Amino acid sequence: MNAHAERLNVDPDSSIVAQFEPRIIGFLCNWCSYAGADKAGAAQTPYPPNVNIVRIMCTGRIDPEFILKAFAGGADGVIVLACHPGDCHYKEGNLRAAQRHAMLARILEQMGIVRERCRFDYVSAGEGEKYVQVITEMVETVTNLGPLSIPR
Amino acid sequence: MKSGVYFCNCGTNISDRIDSNRVRESLAASGRIAYFKTCPFLCSEEGKSFLEQDLRDEQPDRIVIAACSPREHEATFMRVMGQAGMNPYLMQMVNIREQIAWVTEDPEKAAKKAALALKAALKRVELHEMLEKQELEASPAVLVIGAGPAGLKAALTLAEAGRKVTVVEKTPVIGGLPVLYEELFPNMECGPCMLEPLMGEILHGEHAANIELLTMAEVSEVVGYFGNFVVKVRQRPRYVDTHQCIGCGECLDPCPVSAPNPFNCGMDEKKAIGFTFMGALPSAPYLDPGLCTRFTQGSDCTACGAACPMGEGVIVYDDVEKLIERQVGAIILATGSSLYDCSGFENLGYGRLADVRTALEFERMLASNGPTAGEIVTSGGEAPASVAIVHCVGSLDDDHQPYCSGVCCQYAFKFNHLLESKLPEAEIRHLYKEIVSPGKEEYALHRAARNNPNASFIRYRDIADIAVVNEEGRQMMRFRNGNAINADLVVLCPAVVPNADAERLGAQLDVPLDRFGFFEELHGRMDSARSKMRGVYLAGACQAPTDIQRATGQGMAASGYVLSELALGRKIELDPLFASVYPERCAGCKVCMKVCPYRAIGFDAENGVAVVNAVLCHGCGTCVAACPVGAVKSNHFTNEMILVEIEGVLK
Repeated sequence: MNAHAERLNVDPDSSIVAQFEPRIIGFLCNWCSYAGADKAGAAQTPYPPNVNIVRIMCTGRIDPEFILKAFAGGADGVIVLACHPGDCHYKEGNLRAAQRHAMLARILEQMGIVRERCRFDYVSAGEGEKYVQVITEMVETVTNLGPLSIPR
Repeated sequence: MKSGVYFCNCGTNISDRIDSNRVRESLAASGRIAYFKTCPFLCSEEGKSFLEQDLRDEQPDRIVIAACSPREHEATFMRVMGQAGMNPYLMQMVNIREQIAWVTEDPEKAAKKAALALKAALKRVELHEMLEKQELEASPAVLVIGAGPAGLKAALTLAEAGRKVTVVEKTPVIGGLPVLYEELFPNMECGPCMLEPLMGEILHGEHAANIELLTMAEVSEVVGYFGNFVVKVRQRPRYVDTHQCIGCGECLDPCPVSAPNPFNCGMDEKKAIGFTFMGALPSAPYLDPGLCTRFTQGSDCTACGAACPMGEGVIVYDDVEKLIERQVGAIILATGSSLYDCSGFENLGYGRLADVRTALEFERMLASNGPTAGEIVTSGGEAPASVAIVHCVGSLDDDHQPYCSGVCCQYAFKFNHLLESKLPEAEIRHLYKEIVSPGKEEYALHRAARNNPNASFIRYRDIADIAVVNEEGRQMMRFRNGNAINADLVVLCPAVVPNADAERLGAQLDVPLDRFGFFEELHGRMDSARSKMRGVYLAGACQAPTDIQRATGQGMAASGYVLSELALGRKIELDPLFASVYPERCAGCKVCMKVCPYRAIGFDAENGVAVVNAVLCHGCGTCVAACPVGAVKSNHFTNEMILVEIEGVLK
């Protein structure tokens, strides 16, 4: 029985569980992870469609407010995908993003949003397969966690 | 506001998975679009003509293009918009091919996702601004730091293309490290002879008027940015007028002072006035105030001046340091490398045992203008019966330098060749971790060493397994397993490491260093001659251990970048995706300045606000995210645009 079904105390095969399609926002940087997503596309490997992509030039551009607004606006999960350390097109924007993310994750937990709903990872332009894997995992995780319920 | 959508079918790549009619219906219901048009191939010649004509006919205020990845064709469509008279930034592209059609199995879900992304894009594009590329005047002049093979090749290439070049060299002589080597791998060419034509062109050639050579000089300050650097150069006094001096050397002998000669690694002596070596260019001696008694003891010695056949005024005793300022558009770093300090290897005895030499010292010993006039001798004055050449000293070693220095095998086999001819009886031992000899000419010396009956090869794992010892009055090399070999002379091949002043120069120019301390290239394979700082280029061993071939190639590459990025008669074009500060909101906290990876943000002290230099800004947006009061804006990626996009895909 998955966590979501468990919480709702229903049979996991019932329609209420089957129907839950999480809404996830993915912040991808133009140079690495967005290109990685394109690579996954070129390989035509299917993955769940629940992550809607917002492209930015660098993950360093991500204001924590974007993530808070995403959750406030109805997102069940947020995923930030950066260039690997040392690969940032802008030298160190990815590291700034990682620092900010670590702080934000603690604040989110205090607000009742578990860490797993807000993932940070690294995907390079060549890692199409990793992109598919990370996105699939994220959708699974958030599906299992169920819809986010916070006062909006 | 009139917004239109162009939906590219990409043949069947998109239309197979995403039904454009469903997307159209979904968007029509939102009431945000004036029109929705599909095209079989928007990037084809036909598609582009259609788009251009349609933009002219429809005259939309904003457009959204649903097609492939913006990484593929955003620039293409922006160009078409420009041709149609529409500002190219009034468009948002939605990637429905790579990120939806090709990866979503269920066509229903694919169409829904595409519609959602398009709705978000339509909201976003309404906020787009008419951005324009800006143009900036730039100085076409270039500064080259370092007069080794890379720097000289760059300087000459640029001078030949009509550019004014200032070459700054910290030593009194040009040519870099190869002038120390009498014979070079792979063809036993003489170093100074090989460089002579290049140096001749630099000093007296057809384009020499375009080159200003400042020896004994170092950059002391750099301000500005690509296109408009102001550089201050501090030039130490030479005490010799290079224009009047003919380089006859009559002044040397009368000088009463002698001291160890750094050119020959201190293995012989030099006078207080002298050439770095006979034949050094520029052909004029220099006076060392650290040795001359006029400076050390306040004497009134004029021995050198009195001996000068050119008369008074050639030796300038009251010469002073000069501060020279130049305005340049670009800077090429060609400061070279140095060798890893071997004195840290206690077991090898370097610095303690007189007959343990570095490769550089051995090069000088081999040179006919060296301390032994080319004769290979031990400290006892005898020809060594056995020579051990230790490769990989400090290279391939996680406790020292983890990389392969690349050039050591080549010169070690050159040593083998020279030893074979100079000391045919001597036993030669190569101790190595790895041997590399890639390249079309590079194997010849390696093969010759392998075929040398007096040479043998011993592979070692760890430099700590080798100890140089003196036993019964004879120098030996002892191994961890107890075995020992005779080693009358030991030659160490140290790792190639960054120059000591790389850190200072890097800080002056804001060019980052890599984890080894070399100047970090923009990209290791695609852009190794460009630094991460716009307008600063890299050539030669300051970027990575390198041989002369690669150094000169990079010198040419760096000058190629200068010629294309700083083209004569063309202004510098600025991409409008930069950040800017709203001065009325800025509290002057300087957080943005600290996070900027490009030092692109300055402080206007008078008004107490931060100011972004658009030339240096790369548009990453890190400062925008860091500003606690929302006073920084990033063009085309404003908070409002991103937030409306987030909101759009969630509705």
